[in-house]
Amino acid sequence: MNVAYFPGCSLHGLAREYDISTRLVYNHLGINLKEILDWNCCGATAAHSLNHELSVSLSARNLAIARDMQLSQVMAPCAGCYSRLKTASYELRNNKSLAGKVENLIEAPAPVEPEVSNPVQYLIEAKGTEAIAAKVVKPLKNMKLAAYYGCLLTRPRHITEFDDPEQPMSMDLILRALGAETVDWSHKAECCGGGYAASETAVVVDLGSQVLESARREGAEAIVVACPMCQTNLDTRQQTIEAELGVKYNLPIIYFTQLMGLAFGYKASQLGLKRLLVSPFPLLKSKGLI
Amino acid sequence: MLSTEFHKTIKLDNIDDSLKREILEECDVDIEQCIECGKCSGGCSNAHIFDYTPRKIVQLIKMGDEETLLSMDCLWTCVSCHLCVDRCPAHINIPRIMDYLREKAYKRGIEPTRDKVELFNELMLDSVRKIGRVAEMTMMMKFNFKTGQYFKDADIGRQMFFKGKLSPFSPKVKHLKQVHRLFEDVPHKRGEVEK
Repeated sequence: MNVAYFPGCSLHGLAREYDISTRLVYNHLGINLKEILDWNCCGATAAHSLNHELSVSLSARNLAIARDMQLSQVMAPCAGCYSRLKTASYELRNNKSLAGKVENLIEAPAPVEPEVSNPVQYLIEAKGTEAIAAKVVKPLKNMKLAAYYGCLLTRPRHITEFDDPEQPMSMDLILRALGAETVDWSHKAECCGGGYAASETAVVVDLGSQVLESARREGAEAIVVACPMCQTNLDTRQQTIEAELGVKYNLPIIYFTQLMGLAFGYKASQLGLKRLLVSPFPLLKSKGLI
Repeated sequence: MLSTEFHKTIKLDNIDDSLKREILEECDVDIEQCIECGKCSGGCSNAHIFDYTPRKIVQLIKMGDEETLLSMDCLWTCVSCHLCVDRCPAHINIPRIMDYLREKAYKRGIEPTRDKVELFNELMLDSVRKIGRVAEMTMMMKFNFKTGQYFKDADIGRQMFFKGKLSPFSPKVKHLKQVHRLFEDVPHKRGEVEK
């Protein structure tokens, strides 16, 4: 099973542990990820904020390369990249005049063929939870986890066509297949503050604190994510939030692929768990997972 | 006392519908389909700090009040979480409208209320323009330098560096000409006229 892989800038930088663990567990499930050759940045918030045509054309170049590689499926682990690629694909399919302009910019026919998915979506749709459960050798017993989807994995629904954007369950189902318990909580699909960590830090502190508080209230021992922005905001701003609110959360923010890797029997050192700021090691030790 | 800013008289018989038509043409959003249920504003992640909630933005478009729309603060605090459009029964794509208005304000040279947000976006685009990707560490250093916040997040930055999360190296796109072509008509700065 060959799938075009779009890591994006974060997975080659601050979220390398997400890259490493995704490749590992996908490979373990027999999915062959082929990195899109010479890919460029999706432009993220910066491009869609300031120039719509640029935003679509940046993603279009990547989709065109995937098509040239004869791959019909593109998977992007970063929820931001996923959203940009999926939106571009939607625009190219539905907006003929924009598609024409983009074709001129990328000097190729509009790449409307490849389907775009996020890593949770692809696993659920192509593999299913039974295939995942079958690979578990070290179940995540007695772990109480908050599956956090944030905004862009499921929204907007007319573009993602995935899960229920109000009460998503796909990641919960994967974590349960690994043997963990997942909590019902109010903020699983609320925003963490997105791209404002540096430029309007107060927004991230405000929205991030609500997410942390909701997870704590339901007794979660860690928050599980599928997005480098969610991870970075909740992890690196946790100390600031704690200082501001006078509360101690000490909640590890772990990529779902890292937990899949552990349950599949990989070592913590193979999954980049040391790279998380709030250490997951005391929790993992207490559960006998490392 | 009521703020006159928020309580302008709406002259219902003297409404300019050119902006409404422009939004339909450019964003493929028919503002007239809005039933004013307010779900967009009820769900909005940042409505509590917005000067104009999504519902008010729709009304401003109906009124053709472009001046307010291009200078409002919420253009720069919207987190693009897409809750508004996702819940809208009439499919009014507010995030697309916000992007459109921000792009228009930027091209017109209208000074943003949050200059750091604009600067961050510009630095990110500069990086993509130059090497096709985002050099995270270089960009953060430039951001702190340009905003005069030399020690902003120095402690978090140090922790991230030692965790290997900030790398001074960033691989370039090989076929850079292809990326440069996408940027040909993209302004470098606010107010810069497109080529």
